Amino acid sequence: MKPAAFEYHTPRTVDEAVALLARYGEEGKVLAGGQSLVPLMNMRLARPANIIDINRIDALAYLRRERGVLRLGALTRQRAAERSPIIAQHCPILRDALRLVGHAQIRNRGTVGGSIAHADPAGELTAILLALDGEVTVRGPKRTRVIAAADLFVTYLTTSLDPHELLIEVRFPLPPEGAGWSWMEIARRHGDFALAGVGVVLAVRRGRIAEARIGLTGVGPTPVRAAQAERGLVGQPPSTALWAEAAEAVRGAVEPDGDIHASAEYRKHVAGVLTLRALQEAYERARKVA
Amino acid sequence: MKIDGTNTLPASVDTVWKTINDPEALRRCTPGLKELKAISPDNYAATLQIGIAAVKGTYAGTLRITDKQAPTHYRIILEGTGGAGFMKGEGTVDLEPQGDGTLLKWVGDIQIGGLIAGVGQRMLGGIGKMLIGQFFKCLEESLGSGS
Amino acid sequence: MRRREITLRVNGTTFTASAEPRKTLADFIREDCGLTGTHLGCEHGVCGACTILMNGQTVRSCLMFAVQAEGAELMTVEGLADGDRLHAIQQAYWDHHALQCGFCTPGFLMTTVEFLQDHPQPTEREIREGLAGNLCRCTGYQNIVKAVAAASQMVAADPHWVPRWASPEPPTAARASAGNGGTPTSRKRTTRSKPVKPSRSPRRRRPKR
Repeated sequence: MKPAAFEYHTPRTVDEAVALLARYGEEGKVLAGGQSLVPLMNMRLARPANIIDINRIDALAYLRRERGVLRLGALTRQRAAERSPIIAQHCPILRDALRLVGHAQIRNRGTVGGSIAHADPAGELTAILLALDGEVTVRGPKRTRVIAAADLFVTYLTTSLDPHELLIEVRFPLPPEGAGWSWMEIARRHGDFALAGVGVVLAVRRGRIAEARIGLTGVGPTPVRAAQAERGLVGQPPSTALWAEAAEAVRGAVEPDGDIHASAEYRKHVAGVLTLRALQEAYERARKVA
Repeated sequence: MKIDGTNTLPASVDTVWKTINDPEALRRCTPGLKELKAISPDNYAATLQIGIAAVKGTYAGTLRITDKQAPTHYRIILEGTGGAGFMKGEGTVDLEPQGDGTLLKWVGDIQIGGLIAGVGQRMLGGIGKMLIGQFFKCLEESLGSGS
Repeated sequence: MRRREITLRVNGTTFTASAEPRKTLADFIREDCGLTGTHLGCEHGVCGACTILMNGQTVRSCLMFAVQAEGAELMTVEGLADGDRLHAIQQAYWDHHALQCGFCTPGFLMTTVEFLQDHPQPTEREIREGLAGNLCRCTGYQNIVKAVAAASQMVAADPHWVPRWASPEPPTAARASAGNGGTPTSRKRTTRSKPVKPSRSPRRRRPKR
């Protein structure tokens, strides 16, 4: 299986890349890690006339913590993020989720920006971006703009980026110091697309839940933020019954589709089960601030 | 893949019936429909260009309307073949008055095969429903504007 | 679609050839470098048969275009053995009957090279998860897991077990910029860094009958 012919472009700067996107629009496709695009091209399900390979734009590969926000250049390799001491210390839920993104061979090439722009309905990073109220910076020919996670994911494989826009930075606001976290997903084999996945961040103060974030993947066309379940947790003293209530709220908030891998009922059910376990684990990990 | 749904449309049963039989409305509202050429009454040659994100395919086929029981019921059959696969969708549409408007009930059976079905299996159901949703949203809008 | 001149190093040997941008790295390695140990299984990034090391990291060579590997330091399965001397990892696969048809094996070996660097004392679970990106239709994986466990012990005793082509540091000389790939004369292949010795080495074993 070989891809159809294309014109190959290697911009060295973001401006060059954006100029190419402006020129080719829908006839151009950005190539970052290629772990999602190239399979489609090999099967000729995607036949972009122009490939804009951004892998030589060194300025897009960076990872830093600034004033409580994790800033990742779009070209940050998933493997680098997985092994980053900054992420391990300040945002470990990202590290735990990244370990489940495909396999090492995929993460060695796949990028954080690419994964978010690709918006796979079972992706891990999109769910965490949503749960943490993250945002992305995109650059177009006429302007640079910021898109909040809540406005970014439109439907399957579709974000609110224009065809001329390049995603250049991903920002994750860091969870509060001492917050507990948990990422849990279920798949038939290690590395498979998640049938359902849940990310939880919990901050505990004076014996009560001070902050709760719940993001889900694999349960719809886009990642889901379980806002109602979160509200039900805040201000409450933690207990198994509280987690069960939240799990029930999560089940009510998701309307997954079924397919040959798992039925809709199973996904709905397991979303609740994973939520309960993730809340438990996140609470155990949380530093209990008096 | 069996799917079904209901939609409430802001027009009388007669108006809705006229619209869902009008090739112009079908051409406008069917997602990805590039060409609709009448071969004979209620029998059209169709070209669809449909896809999501980078995955796009062109499908050539037919659209037929049968079992007409004006103004409340018909069966619609859409078939297409393309490089990435083939699809066949069959559905029944039933209209009943609801207040000032019409309640439209549809039941469909869609089969999708070929490469796109194998690769895209985990999203097909959702995407199918989404496209059908787009169709009815478009109908709703054209009826609501009184056209 | 214009052909581009591509220069890269595989197992220490520099190759320069011209290819269309759409030619995958896997095809380039097989056809232009003449190294057919890297196999094509699914060609859509699932089976791992095409796994190689690029600048010390495993990649699915079917999901890269050869032009993207300009100036890179690659390692394929051909770079593991030292003439007729099997690498410890290969020896372990041999000893534990971890291959039958052998089609998936080069990919597994390359993955194992990276895996054991990251997990020098792996548990069985870690091995199973670490190899999950490679599929085998023959063995049922049991013996592959045993082989990797055995290999981890064999390499633990040898601080120089990592082949030099698996180095994460690409040599600066090889970092040619894109489109300016190589020398004016297009060489198909330079001399091999080591002649292949036909003599038998003591570590080579006969298959058990």
